[in-house]
Amino acid sequence: MLRVIAACAIGAALAGGLAFIGTTVATNASSTAEPVNESLYNYGDR
Amino acid sequence: MAPWAVGAGAGVLALGPGLGPGFVLRYDMVFVPDPPLSATTLGGGGGFPRAVPSDAVVGALAQLLPADAVQTVLLLAVFVLGAAGAARLVPGPYLVPRLAAAVFYVWNPFIAERLLLGQWAVLLGYAGLPWVLSAAVRLARARDLARLVVALLPAAVGGFSSVVLSALVALPAGLWGRRGAADQDRRMPIGQRVPGAVRSAVLAVAALAVVSLPWLVPALGSGARTDPAAVDLFAARADTPFGTVGSLVVLGGIWNAQAVPEWYGHPFFAACRLVLSVAALAGWVWLLRRCRPLFGRGLTAAAAAGFAIALLGVAEPGRELLRALIGAWPGFGPLRDGQLYVAPLALLQAVGFGGAAMWLRGAAGSGTGHGGDGDPGEPLSSSEADREAGSLRVFGALWTSAAGSAGGGRPGAGRGAGAARVAGAVAAAMLLVAPFVLLPGLVWGAAGRLAPIAYPGEWTAVQRIVSADERPGAVLVLPWSAYRGLDWSGDGSTAVVLDPATKLFDRRVVWNDDLRVEEGGAVRVIEGEDQLARRVDRLHAAGVGVSGYLESLGTLGIRYVLIEREALRGPDTAAAVDPLSAGLLRENKFSDGFREAEVVHRGPRLILLELHDEQVGAVKDELSVLEVTGWLATVGAIIWSLSVSGSSLVSMRPDRNTGTVSRKESPTC
Repeated sequence: MLRVIAACAIGAALAGGLAFIGTTVATNASSTAEPVNESLYNYGDR
Repeated sequence: MAPWAVGAGAGVLALGPGLGPGFVLRYDMVFVPDPPLSATTLGGGGGFPRAVPSDAVVGALAQLLPADAVQTVLLLAVFVLGAAGAARLVPGPYLVPRLAAAVFYVWNPFIAERLLLGQWAVLLGYAGLPWVLSAAVRLARARDLARLVVALLPAAVGGFSSVVLSALVALPAGLWGRRGAADQDRRMPIGQRVPGAVRSAVLAVAALAVVSLPWLVPALGSGARTDPAAVDLFAARADTPFGTVGSLVVLGGIWNAQAVPEWYGHPFFAACRLVLSVAALAGWVWLLRRCRPLFGRGLTAAAAAGFAIALLGVAEPGRELLRALIGAWPGFGPLRDGQLYVAPLALLQAVGFGGAAMWLRGAAGSGTGHGGDGDPGEPLSSSEADREAGSLRVFGALWTSAAGSAGGGRPGAGRGAGAARVAGAVAAAMLLVAPFVLLPGLVWGAAGRLAPIAYPGEWTAVQRIVSADERPGAVLVLPWSAYRGLDWSGDGSTAVVLDPATKLFDRRVVWNDDLRVEEGGAVRVIEGEDQLARRVDRLHAAGVGVSGYLESLGTLGIRYVLIEREALRGPDTAAAVDPLSAGLLRENKFSDGFREAEVVHRGPRLILLELHDEQVGAVKDELSVLEVTGWLATVGAIIWSLSVSGSSLVSMRPDRNTGTVSRKESPTC
């Protein structure tokens, strides 16, 4: 029974992930952006 | 061969466009055309050996291959070595659990974030951890040392941080995994007995020390300091909704927000990754109880110790302790980057992930159809793996096994049990792809952030000018800042990277190794380690004017000054970006040179000044006797180890008869 539940959960997670990726790629959305139009750059931002 | 192929496939999927011609430049990942192999890259010249011996290895390999191909090979090696090493730690004869471990180890937030921070040398050490664990756990006699030295090869190339990570794994593994030491102790006279654990630990320290000599010797003599202020800035941070501790559990939490993969913080993916990590931890516990692998206690201790180090920077008392340690001895400096130390936890979770796949597959109950003769607690030998993985029967065997179990596994098994086994087999197969799907931000050059670019011709032109000059003297790089935004791709994108000039020349390069980190809208500066750069810093602060400045540079042993005009963004903004560089350009506007220096290259991107010979008080960069001895000892030990062990890292065979559980007790293992 546990294995059946696990299989369903993993399948659902994979389906959700693939759906998100598909949607995001299709809409060409991006959530992060590199810092631009700066001259001298920091090593990073916390 | 299947884990090797999976690793290569994961590498191709992750690097994507980066595998093409050109150089992938990002933060600390700097490769240049015709990288030098010189006394400086070997650790000579008195500078802080932050890229020793990785730059020397790149320079050596570039004698055989184009430099961009060298970069590709090294990056792919991370994935291939890591996957193959993790796979062979999963006990039992089944391939799918081993592939699950392989995939998890090379496709997780740790590897994604370190790759996006450009720390390829650290990742080489990370890839070698499974091999180090496997070798260290069998340390009992001096002759076992050769195997550990071979396993430490990736860390030896990676340098400082890689060796520290390897030590974190090797020492507990040596202490708790000694093989046959107790028997040996009993054969020895009582007065001569040395506890096996101590002997193993001493051997591990010896192996670690011998591969560290190329960077350790110059580091001890460099007089470098570490700024304790860096503790606050490089401590782990929350990059998931689960806080810093939760982020570390899922192997993320890197200090730099720019090194987080695309979509990583999305609640859905974050939640799924958390479930994946918890499942991997549960799989590890199951594996420990079921198979009792020889490396179990050592890896558990290493992961716990690493996690504890990572947690030190999370709360103020821990930070205070770190600052005190670093203030007392700069050698504690690497502890400031806490997230680095979850690497052993990544290995533990990878093997545990394999255990979870094993449990899902239902092998523990069936035990049919796979009569592998691997011993409990030990991985299969390579030959067995090769046989099993030699064809597309891999996945066919999975389904056949599942169907066979469903149709007639154990006597009395009903339809429900059969369905459970089929579901388990399907779930195990899906686990193989789960790490990929739940971390999509690493796919195809980390969503395009690892794209190759070509160096403008001017860069190789100034490299040739400096290389043709045999007179000693360092190169000073301006503007006085370490990181650049390169827009060479022509598509409007900017690659933020350590100034490539720092690795372009076959002599010492002086650059501002202060690190600027933005936190809460304010930029904080961490003082760099290079003492010569600090002297140039003081010269800048003195405001001595252009002539005085150039004269003073000569007395500091600097012969060339490289001004990167492209970083100044044009004459209107130059003064705001870097007043000193702007001043030099202004002075040079109406003439071909200065009284103190001559312009030897002038282009739209770069200007190279050469100080007059009589002003330059420089000595040739050379390795000291100690440094040469260190290199000879390391190279000699590696050659000796390769010859004694009769193998390379690739063909290292696991040992047998070292488990603690009989196969009758545990058909899984």
